[in-house]
Parts: sequence; structure tokens; C-alpha cells
Amino acid sequence: MLPLLLCGSAQAGSVAVNVTDAAGKPLPLAVVSIEPVTAKLAVQPSAPTQVAQSKRQFVPRVSVVTVGTSVAFPNQDTVRHHVYSFSPTKNFELKLYSGVPAQPVLFDKPGIAVLGCNIHDQMAAWIVVVDTPFYALTSAEGHARVNAVTPGSYRVKVWHPGLPGNSDGVSQALTVGAADIEQAMRLDVGVNPLGPQP
Amino acid sequence: MMGFASLMGRSLKARLIATFLGLLLVVQLAGFSALRASLSTHAHQELPARLDVGDRVLHSLLTQRAQKLTDGARLLAADFGFREAIHSKDTDTIVSALENHGRRIGAMRVALYDTALALQASTGDDLETLAPLAARLAGQVMRPGNAVDSTTSEIGLLSDQPYQFVMVPIKAPVVVGWVLMGFPIDERLVSDMQALAAVQVTLLTRTHATDAWQVKLSSMSRDHTEGLSKHAWGPLQAGSGMTSVKANGEEFSVHPRWLTIDADHGSVLALTSLSVDAATRIPHDLQVALLVTTVISCLVFGVGSSLTAHRMITPLHRLSAAADRLGAGDYATPIGDEQREDEIGHLSQAFERMRVSVSAQKEEILKLAYWDTITGLPNRAQFRDAVCSAIAAEQQKHAAPASSAQPSVAVLMLDLDRFKHVNDVLGYRFGDLLLMQVAERLAQQLVRGGDMVARIGGDEFAILLRSGDAELAQTVARRIATAFDAPLTLEEHTVDMGAGIGMACWPQHASDADMLISRAELAMYSAKQRSAGALMYDPKIDAASAQTLSLLTEMRQAVSDNQLRLFLQPKLSLGTGAVVGAEALVRWQHPQRGLVPPMQFIPFAEQTGFIRVLTIWIFEEAARHWRMLHAEGLMITLSVNLSTRDLLDQDLPQKFEALLVKHQVPAEAFCLEITESAIMDDPQRALATLNRLSALGFTLSIDDFGTGYSSLAYLKRLPVDELKIDQSFVKSMETDPDDAKIVRSTIDLAHNLGLTVVAEGVENARTWDMLRELNCDQAQGYHMGKPMPADTFANWSVGWLTRHRPVDVVSAVILH
Repeated sequence: MLPLLLCGSAQAGSVAVNVTDAAGKPLPLAVVSIEPVTAKLAVQPSAPTQVAQSKRQFVPRVSVVTVGTSVAFPNQDTVRHHVYSFSPTKNFELKLYSGVPAQPVLFDKPGIAVLGCNIHDQMAAWIVVVDTPFYALTSAEGHARVNAVTPGSYRVKVWHPGLPGNSDGVSQALTVGAADIEQAMRLDVGVNPLGPQP
Repeated sequence: MMGFASLMGRSLKARLIATFLGLLLVVQLAGFSALRASLSTHAHQELPARLDVGDRVLHSLLTQRAQKLTDGARLLAADFGFREAIHSKDTDTIVSALENHGRRIGAMRVALYDTALALQASTGDDLETLAPLAARLAGQVMRPGNAVDSTTSEIGLLSDQPYQFVMVPIKAPVVVGWVLMGFPIDERLVSDMQALAAVQVTLLTRTHATDAWQVKLSSMSRDHTEGLSKHAWGPLQAGSGMTSVKANGEEFSVHPRWLTIDADHGSVLALTSLSVDAATRIPHDLQVALLVTTVISCLVFGVGSSLTAHRMITPLHRLSAAADRLGAGDYATPIGDEQREDEIGHLSQAFERMRVSVSAQKEEILKLAYWDTITGLPNRAQFRDAVCSAIAAEQQKHAAPASSAQPSVAVLMLDLDRFKHVNDVLGYRFGDLLLMQVAERLAQQLVRGGDMVARIGGDEFAILLRSGDAELAQTVARRIATAFDAPLTLEEHTVDMGAGIGMACWPQHASDADMLISRAELAMYSAKQRSAGALMYDPKIDAASAQTLSLLTEMRQAVSDNQLRLFLQPKLSLGTGAVVGAEALVRWQHPQRGLVPPMQFIPFAEQTGFIRVLTIWIFEEAARHWRMLHAEGLMITLSVNLSTRDLLDQDLPQKFEALLVKHQVPAEAFCLEITESAIMDDPQRALATLNRLSALGFTLSIDDFGTGYSSLAYLKRLPVDELKIDQSFVKSMETDPDDAKIVRSTIDLAHNLGLTVVAEGVENARTWDMLRELNCDQAQGYHMGKPMPADTFANWSVGWLTRHRPVDVVSAVILH
């Protein structure tokens, strides 16, 4: 795995994706993942990460982790939170707590986990669990760049919380060679749920 | 009378009360009608507004309910346990969670949809029919710009029952599904509507547009809602205002509101309605209040008007009683109530004036009834009463044992002589003065208190002597005669008064007052007839008077039965002693009574007018005898007396003329004698008759000249040829130089006027001679000849001529 990765990295090019919303404006915090069409790429769990609760908001709102990553949910507020997820990707519940819970939560299945707080309805966060090493979040300008993608046939998938219902994103075929690829993706997102919260 | 009056009173009172109450009822009815009309108008004006309010309240209620349900549903959807259950993926768990949590907020039907609005689970059946509704609701919820807490609810039919559905998203924390909750629309809506808007609500449903409406809910009775459901509620009426619907005979104003219009999945129509009839009806408590008011005011008015009527009618009763008193002749008691200021007072015052006036009039009438107005003496009525009481008093006195005196009452009756002539000649005013003088003189003769002088007729006076006997009556009569001896002097006229006096005494002559008076009257007539001065009643007089009663019948009979006889009294020429004429006189040969003297029937005939028959009889008889005497060679003039009534008979000259023709006698054969007074009764008519008689050729003569008051100037105008000097002068001329002078001057006067003069009452040769010396033309009297049967006149004439042998004269007369 590693040699491939290394090899890949040796020859690999970067894939840049510009994501815009329905109105054509750059869409930040869209999750871009590039998955091979065939076979699975071995992925390493990401380094333990955290989704903190600060000022009754999850920070960050959108996270991307690989399968097997543990995520901690430190509470930085003075009030308690009750973080939960009914998502099939990871169904869990951290009953009212303050500070850092003893155990971080292991996200061991790919998918999208929607996090909420049972006592603060307005709090929402998404953790996208991917089983590919090629993923990125769009910047404020809607740019996402994935470097060192091993050449091959891929599907590039873009997801954003603003997509309706059960949509797991918009995907597109992508053949990666040595050259850098720049790809534009348009998502049918009208209202950005990540906009300024009331 | 009292009963009738009180009945009238009651009826008047009843009418007053009835009028008052009637008016009150009219006013009450008018008020009631006005109230009713006003209520009706008000109701009609208010109805749309009330219905509109009702409709808005319904809308508001539904909206509030939706809000409440939404809030509840939203809370429920956020329930962690619920969300956890939903995510259990176990259908039974999910359904039981839906039931359990739905029940918490009263949602009878709950359905779970995924984010693609596919039905995931539901409580109960038929939820699949709600797919369009769920889609609509989800669309509304998710519509951009909708506020997070905005209400979204719809009313729909589920299993034929109306539900209010709300749909909320399930967020965990993003939308992971939808939950639809259905709340049955139940009686609470109806009761809330009635509590808030006081309108009736009816909910109609139908599954398909072609179905009939079904009543699901209503605050109204079944009969009425049936009526409403049969109305053709078309979609077009949605939103249109008020509709009038007749249901079960009652009119309703209805405001329809379509809660759902879905031709395939069912429609729900809410009707807010109000009964027009109930709105215009006067509320029951107001009706009761009005009724109570009416009853109380009727009572108050009834009592009030009864009291008023009583107050009005009581004085009327008093007046009625007063009027009855007046009617009964009690004029002394004042009417009362005159002090009142009102109409009753005025009426009472009028009654009082009437009482005083009637009382005065009664006194006046009494005065007229009992007093003579000219002399101020009691009249016949009072006199009669006085006689009655005098007799009664005497009877009482006699009944007393102590009295020894014989009871007696005397009455004197007095009739003035020649009073009629005084009235005729000197006038009625003078006559009245004379009566007053006479009254005074009579009163002076009564020295005893209690005696009475009364004037009981034209010239008749009566005197009552209480306890007076015949002797006293005679004495008084004598005193009166003496008093009358002195002539009365009035306004430079001196009048010689005489009177016939009759007397009668109780109990000798009469048994009671009326008889006593009538007997005294009889005696008086008798005294006058006989010129006897005073005469005490005698039963013989009564017999005579009884005879006169049937006189008229008998006189008629006398004419038809030839009981009358013509007598002739010769008139002789004083110059030659020859028989130149005769006065024709009537005598009555009564079959039973014998020869009736003229005084007994001539005055009566004059009174009754029968004298005209007698005059004609005498004239015809005289004409017949004249023919016979003429045939025997006696050329004389026959004198016939004419009475007043004859002179007033316009046909008399015609009748005489006819008789002259019938008996072939010239008018010159007759001399018609008229007394002065006969002419004076109606001088104009008398003069007309005399002129006609004179024109016919009759000789006219003034009889009894000197006793009347005829002026010479008047005599001159009469067509007379002859004067007959009254025998009273002739009889006394021998002894009374004054009378002789009267005779002489009368003769001279008559000659100067060219009249022939005849002297009556020649009773002796001395008078004959005196008259001859005075150049009187003719003489008549007992000295020469009394009145004799006409048959014997011819013989008497021959005898007379033979006795006095005035051959030359006779031959001269015959030759004439």
C-alpha cells in the first residue's frame, strides 16, 4: 500500500475541484472525495480528531475522516450538551456531559453521520466518514485540492449538508493521470444550512 | 229612579275604566309592536355582522387549533425518545411510538413519511389516501421563506371523518422524515364556537362531489341540520357572504366556509348559521317583563281610573239626588258642591241657579195661581181654599163639646153693574183702576180679621165671612151697598157703581165649599136679574137656574114647535094720537112653564148667539103680521130690535131683503132699533151693516138713548132716523126736573139733527102731555098699551081709535 501510495505520490498529480452552489457561487465546506472505480484503496484511520462544542455550536461543522478514526467531542461551553447521532454510519449518544468525555467515538463505517445536540436543536454537525485517502473540504472560495492522486479511474463525489434529503452527494467519473486536474462541480444547494446561524 | 241612576253611574264608570284600560293596551301594543319591529330591523342589520364574526371566529379557532397542534406536533417530533424509536427500523416499534406519542397530544391518526414523503408507517388504515395532502403540507412547510414556526394545517377527510392535519418534519437534527398528525374535529369546536360567537356551527362532509352532504357535527337540532345539508352548497358560494336557507320551516342565515375542497378525496364545509326567526323574536325574558309591566300598569290604571271615575261620578250622584229633590218639589235645600272650581262645580252652580230660579218662578206661579194681579186680592182658587178651610174650622169647632155656638160660614158674591160699559167706553186701564178702587172699598167694609175679599172673575168679587151667619151677611151686604152709593171718582170721571150681591150660608144652603160658592153666585145672578140689590140664596132660585141650563135646547125646540109668540106694543103719534107703529117683541109660551118672561131667555140668547135666530124669527113674524095688518088697513111701521150679534152678522141685510121679498113687504114698513152699546162693540162693522140696511130702505132707530156714552159727533155719522129716549128718563121726568131737562134737550137735539124722537115708558097721561108739550114725536108705554099678542093688535087699534076718536087723525093716517 505504501509503495503504491509512494509511487503514486511520485507520479501522481493533484485534483482540484471548484464547487459552486445552485446560484453559481463558491460553496465552502463541501466534502470532495475521490474513490477508485474498482477495488478499494487501503486507508489508514486518520489521526484522532475532535468536534468541539463551543458557544452552542459544533466546531467544526463539517469534518471528513477516514474509516476507523476516533473523534472526541470536547465541550468547551459552560452548559452541558447531549450529542447524538441517529445516522446508520454511526449511531451514538453522549448523554449530558461537560468537559471531554472519557471515550472518543470511533467512526468505523463509511457514510455521513449527522450530529445533533438533544437540548440545543439548532446545533448540527456532519462527520463524513470516507474509506478513501483522497478527500478534501472546499475552502471559503469553494476550492478543494487533493494532491498526489494515483493515476487511475475514479469517481469524484461532492457532498454538502445543503443537499436535500438522503442525497449522499454528486459524483462524477474522473480519470487521473500525471497531470493536475481541475474539475468544476455544481451542487444543487439553495440555502446553505451552514450559513450564519440565528 | 235611584236604581236607574246608579245603573247609569255604573255603566259610565265602567266605560271610563274600559276606555282607560283600552288606551293603555293600545299604547302597550304599540310599544310592543315598535319594539318588535325595532328588534327585527336590528336583527336583520346585525345578522350578517354576527355571522361574519362567527365565521371569523371559526377561522380563528381553526387557525389557533392548527397553531397549537403544530406546536404540539413539533415538540413531539423533537422528542428524543420518539426520534430514537423512529430510527429503530422496527416497524412495530415505530407504529407503537407513533400511537404513543400521538396520543400525548390527542392526535388520533399519526403517519410517518420519509424525506421523500413515502409513507413509512401509520396508525390505523386509509392513511395512503392522504398522500396528496401530505405532499401539500410538506411543500408548505418547506417553502422557502416560511418561518420555522409557521402553521401548516389542513382539514381533510379520513375514513369519512373530518380531521385537522398538521405535518412537521422530524429533525435529527436535519430533516430525517415527516410526521403527519390527524386531530378529529369534535364537539369542542362546536361548543367553543357557541361560547365565543353565539352562533350555530354545522360541519358537512362528502367524499365525492356527487355524494350527498353528511352532517358530522352540529350545534343545531337534527331537523334543522338535515334542512341545511339538503341545500345545494356549490363551490361557487365559497367566500360569498350570507345565504338564506329554509330548514324545517325556520329561516336561517348561513355563512358557508369551505374547509376542504377536493372532488376526489372529500370536501368539508363549515356552516355558521343563525336563526332569523329566533333573532327577530322578542326574547322570552323581555316578553315576560313586558307582560308583567302590562299587568301591573293595567292594575294601576284600573285602580286609578276606578278611583277617578268614582270621584267624578259621586258628585254626579249627588247632583242626581239634588235633581230628584227638585223634582219632588224641595226647592229649599241647596244643591251643594258649588264651591268646586271644576266642571262639576259649574254644573252644581248651574243647578243652584236653576233651583233659585225655579223656586222664584214657583212663588210667582203660586202668586199668579192664588192672587189676582190687578187688585192684589186673593183669586178664586185661594178663595175656594179659604172657604174650605173655614168650613173645616167650623166643623172642628162644632165637634168640640165646649162650643155651644151654631157653626156657620157665609159667602157674599158681588157683580159690578155696567162694568163692561166702563171698560168699553173708558178703556181697560180705567177699568183696572176702577176694579182696584172697588177692591179697596170692599176691603174697608171688612172689620173682622180672617174674613177675605177676593176677586174671582172679571167684575165679580167674593167675600168670605168666617163663622158668619145670614144675619152678618145681610149686614155686610147693606154696608157694601151703602159704600157703593157714593160715586167713584177716577181721573176726573165720576162713575156710579152698583152691584148685584148674592149671599149663601153654610150649612143652611150648602154642604161644602163649592156648593156654597156656587149658591152665592146663583143668588147674585138672581139679584142682578131682579135688580134686587142683595139677595140671600133661596132654593127657588136654584130651581130657576136649573131651568136656564136646558134653556138653549128648549129655545131651539120653541122655534121649531112654534112656542114663540109675537107681541106688539103700540107706538103712538103724540101729535095726533094715531097708532103709527108698534115694537115687535117675542114671548115664549112654554108648554109646561107657561109664558116665560123675556128677561129669562133674551139675555141668555144674546150670550149664546141664539138671538140671531130669534131676530130672524121676529122679523119674519113681523113681516107676516104687517101684511095682515096692512090688509086690514093699518099702515104702521113695525120696530124690530137688533142685538150686537145681529149687527156683526154680515149676511143680515141679505136675509132681511130675502124675507121682504118673500112676504112682499116694503123695507119702509120696518124700523130697526139698535142700542148704543150694540154699536160700540165693533163700531166699524156695525156701521157697515147699518149703512147697508139704510140703503135697503129700513128706518134705523137708536134704542135706550141716554144710557150709553155715545158722542153726538158719532151719532151724526150713523144713518139713523129716530131716537128712542130711555124709559128711565121718561118715567121720572114727571118728578125729576133734571130728567125732564134731559128729555127736553134730547128732543131738541134730535130734531136739530133731523131725527124723529120716540119716548118710551110713558105710564101716565101727565107724561103724555109733557111730551106733547116738548114736541116729542111719538110715545110708547103702558099708559097707551102694553105689549100684546100680535093677533090682537088690529082689534086693539080699532078700540084705541074708538076710545080716543081721533077720527080726523085716523082718517089722515089711513089716507096717508
